[in-house]
Amino acid sequence: MVEEEKQSNNDLQAQAPDKSATQDLDTAGKSLSEALRISFIVLKVIMVVLVVAFLASGLKTVGSDEQALVLRFGKIRGIGEKRVLKPRTWPYWVFPYPIDTMVKIPVEKKVDLVIRSFWYYQTQERMLAEPSIQKTRVLPELDPIKDGYCITRSERQDKPISGSTGSDYNIVHCKWKLTYKIDDPERFFKNVYVKDVKPGDIYFDVITESIMPLLKSLFEDVIVTAIVNYTIDDVMYEQVARLTEHIRRLLQQKLDTIESGIKVVQIQLTDKTWPLQVDEAFKALVTASQDRQTTISQAQTYAESTLNETAGPVAEKLFVALQDDTISGDEKELLWSQLAGKAQETITEARAYRTKVVANARANAEYFQELLPEYRKHPKLVIQKIYQDAIENIFDNAVEKFVIPTGAEWRFLINRDPSLKPKTSKGQTTQED
Amino acid sequence: MKNIAITVFIVLVVIIMGLYLVAFQVRQTESALVTRFGKPVREVTAPGLYFKLPAPIDHVHRFDSRMQVFEADLGETTTKGAVPIIINTYVVWRIAEPLKFLNAVGTPKEAEVKLYSQITDTQNRVIGQHSFGEFVNSDPEKIIFEKIEEDMLADLKQTVSDEYGIEVKTLGIKQLKVSKDVTVKVFERMKAARSLKTEATISEGEGQATKIKGDANLKSSVLLTAAEARAEVIRGRGDAEAAKHYKKLEEDPEFAMFLRDIESLVKILKERSTIVIPADSEPFKLLKEVPSLKPKK
Repeated sequence: MVEEEKQSNNDLQAQAPDKSATQDLDTAGKSLSEALRISFIVLKVIMVVLVVAFLASGLKTVGSDEQALVLRFGKIRGIGEKRVLKPRTWPYWVFPYPIDTMVKIPVEKKVDLVIRSFWYYQTQERMLAEPSIQKTRVLPELDPIKDGYCITRSERQDKPISGSTGSDYNIVHCKWKLTYKIDDPERFFKNVYVKDVKPGDIYFDVITESIMPLLKSLFEDVIVTAIVNYTIDDVMYEQVARLTEHIRRLLQQKLDTIESGIKVVQIQLTDKTWPLQVDEAFKALVTASQDRQTTISQAQTYAESTLNETAGPVAEKLFVALQDDTISGDEKELLWSQLAGKAQETITEARAYRTKVVANARANAEYFQELLPEYRKHPKLVIQKIYQDAIENIFDNAVEKFVIPTGAEWRFLINRDPSLKPKTSKGQTTQED
Repeated sequence: MKNIAITVFIVLVVIIMGLYLVAFQVRQTESALVTRFGKPVREVTAPGLYFKLPAPIDHVHRFDSRMQVFEADLGETTTKGAVPIIINTYVVWRIAEPLKFLNAVGTPKEAEVKLYSQITDTQNRVIGQHSFGEFVNSDPEKIIFEKIEEDMLADLKQTVSDEYGIEVKTLGIKQLKVSKDVTVKVFERMKAARSLKTEATISEGEGQATKIKGDANLKSSVLLTAAEARAEVIRGRGDAEAAKHYKKLEEDPEFAMFLRDIESLVKILKERSTIVIPADSEPFKLLKEVPSLKPKK
């Protein structure tokens, strides 16, 4: 019995450390389990956050001046018009990279490209100088390496210049400006080379810089091709609008042929000049043109003044009416009624004459009829009275009167009337006594 | 449950990593060539997702299939008729056949070297067939500049496509010039042409002015003549109206004529007249003697 108790105590003493070890293990396991559970929760949260961030990275906006394409595994997504995403107030969602990639193309921005390749060589210093200084110290020739220019055709000469052939040409310097925009983002993206955008680069600037060599080459090509069809005067003065339209059309054709998706907005000839080497000859023609215009203007002024003096403002119309039998008499009379100037004077004088001659005739007739009864009663007395009155009147007005005896011979030296002025024109004899 | 999630996660990671090893994208702006141990096995020109064996078995070579510009240097060539001209030609090109391009050319830089040589050949060959008068001519109908460019394009296009897998989209001449000496002669001719034009302008202006003045004088003359004719008619009407009053004089024409003569005489001798009259005329004979008058019964 005692041994059993001892055995029992020994068992109890042996079991006590085991129990405490188990208890320690349970505590550690619980801690580990708790840690793992928390880790899993954190991991889950992180994963959820990552998944949300991953999905949220697919939210994309398209700016008001942009249009966008979505590439799914490198290929443009969508059909027809849906291929191009337009700006809208809420964002688009696309699968995040590497499934989808959104490419934004600025389509509304108009960009200018200036071409100076056809201008004569100028140093920086000379370019900033006054125009009068810019044109001094000219070499007798143009250097094909340094100087830019365009070749224009010569005019058809009625009177050929010695040594000239049909392939004669002129040289002109010109500066151009092209304004363009991207019109078809899909074609542009597929076909036009654009450099990769590096960190810090502005995408629009990268596009502009990348397409500049292509546009410059095409633009210069169409300028050279078009301008050979025009004369230097066409380029300088007369056909600038037609030339720029010609160049615009050719350039657009080229851009469409290569499917660039670029639209020409405007072409401008910003500056042009004949070669400085022929400046004097060209200026002489400008002066001659101005003189010609002055001469013609003076002639027109003379013509207007002459016609105005002749018949007033209605002169031209009246002249046309006189030549045109289809114009009615009433219309012509209306024009005659508006007459002025010398022609009007002539007609006024004629009217005055008419009035006067009728009035005189009437007065004479009335005088005659008043006098006739008296004359019939006393013819001699009436005649005598009228005669004497006339003689009195005449002698009263006479400056000199000579009453000479009959039968005697008289000689008079009559002085010229001092009121008559001698004619002074050369080649004409003066009036002799 | 947790184990399933972890398993799915691991499988997904493995799949994604596996896809990275065996899949590749060809973008819309690219073409690609797949080589197996260096030997080309597949040419890809359409965009999309493709598969390959993992490296180092398969290797993908990518090529930018967008247009690129290359311009040759400014160079002299001669037209038919041995007229020297200086031109600068450019081409717009793209890689169309990656395999041919890789084998014959390699890189875009090398492509430009090949293009330069081909452009020079083309421009000498094509331009040599055309006279300078076909580039520029006083008769615009004889200018075939654009056709010459088209001929050059056709010539170059075929060669580089067949040999290098390059597609030439367009070609053009962006500078057309002549040598220094020729510009001097051109200037002389331009001056001569301007002088002729200056003279013509001056004489044309004078001629035009003379015509304008002549026309004005003619019109003035016509208008005055017409006005004179109308005036004549008016005067004639006046005379005709006056003649109606003269009928009243028919009662004693002799007396009427006397009155008319007297009126004329007074008018004629109205101013600054000198009169010489014999002393025996009326009434001056009164100066000589007293008349003997007797009253009539």
